[in-house]
Amino acid sequence: MYAAVRINEIICIGCKKCIYACPDPNVLSFDEETRKVSADESRCKGCGLCVSECPKDAMSIY
Amino acid sequence: MNTWINKPTRALEEFLQTEYQNLLGNGPFSEGNGFEKLGTYKEIIEEHSHCAGCGVALGIRLAMAALPSPKDTFIVGTPGCSFFSLSQAAVNYSNTAFGNQNAVASGLKRMLSIRHPGEAKDVVVLVGDGGIADIGLDMTLHSWFRGEKITTIMVDNELYGNTGGQESGMSPQGRIMNMAPTGKKFPKIPIYDMAKQSGCCYTAKVAVSNPKALADSVRKAIILAREIGPTYVQIYTPCPTNLKVPSHQTLKMAREAEKGYYGFEEFLSSEGEKFLDAMR
Repeated sequence: MYAAVRINEIICIGCKKCIYACPDPNVLSFDEETRKVSADESRCKGCGLCVSECPKDAMSIY
Repeated sequence: MNTWINKPTRALEEFLQTEYQNLLGNGPFSEGNGFEKLGTYKEIIEEHSHCAGCGVALGIRLAMAALPSPKDTFIVGTPGCSFFSLSQAAVNYSNTAFGNQNAVASGLKRMLSIRHPGEAKDVVVLVGDGGIADIGLDMTLHSWFRGEKITTIMVDNELYGNTGGQESGMSPQGRIMNMAPTGKKFPKIPIYDMAKQSGCCYTAKVAVSNPKALADSVRKAIILAREIGPTYVQIYTPCPTNLKVPSHQTLKMAREAEKGYYGFEEFLSSEGEKFLDAMR
């Protein structure tokens, strides 16, 4: 793994914009109970599209 | 894919991969798992070999999530970037010789209507701009002239992506690319206008940065193709690798294109309008 996304769950508002911006399937998932997005880092390619879409700057690439 | 046939016996379930089990248990074939719930269920496509930030991969992912009934859908592809992820998808899929996709799809649709009369089986052509506008132009146009009931979806990245970014017929005029060092000499092929003229009952032009409109047009196109006639959807999916743009700017490029040629536009014939009204 060279680069992957990390999500700050405290800032995330669950708007799901990142889910509709990610080109790879099954990376970002949405929990309906907590209304937060979480990421599967092993599948992420680190392109940064979700970071550019996030309205709250809750995402970053490591 | 029929979930009833593909369900393993309980004794063997633990030996199967978790991905496969998720697909059957909480996949797109389950009731109510549609485009709006994307992110809460296992998606139809598995990991693919597209570049990071690929617009084509995003376009295909959104189009596949918008399929009205994925288990009764048959996707036809052709060589190019588009089939890297299509061959990893859990739908019936056929790859064809370059440019033959609409001829193959016509035959498949006729065969399915004989084999399963009265059932809705969707045949969807999902290929790139090279397959539709350059090499397969005659096959595509003739399938529209004949009024075959198939949906044609183009993922337009405006170049030949997997061979290194050469000029294609859909590249905009003046763009400098490999094999076009002084800029492309002629404008984009007007395939969208040709689709309207050639008998398509529904055509739509949308960029990948507008997911709701994309899903809406794909759904409408497939449902209209079941009853009325050929339909066509053109999706703008920029290529960051060959346009030498950072991978996180794909959607920014798509938004810029939305201000110009790729602003959302759809056309519905009077017959199609009546059909959609009757459904509502």
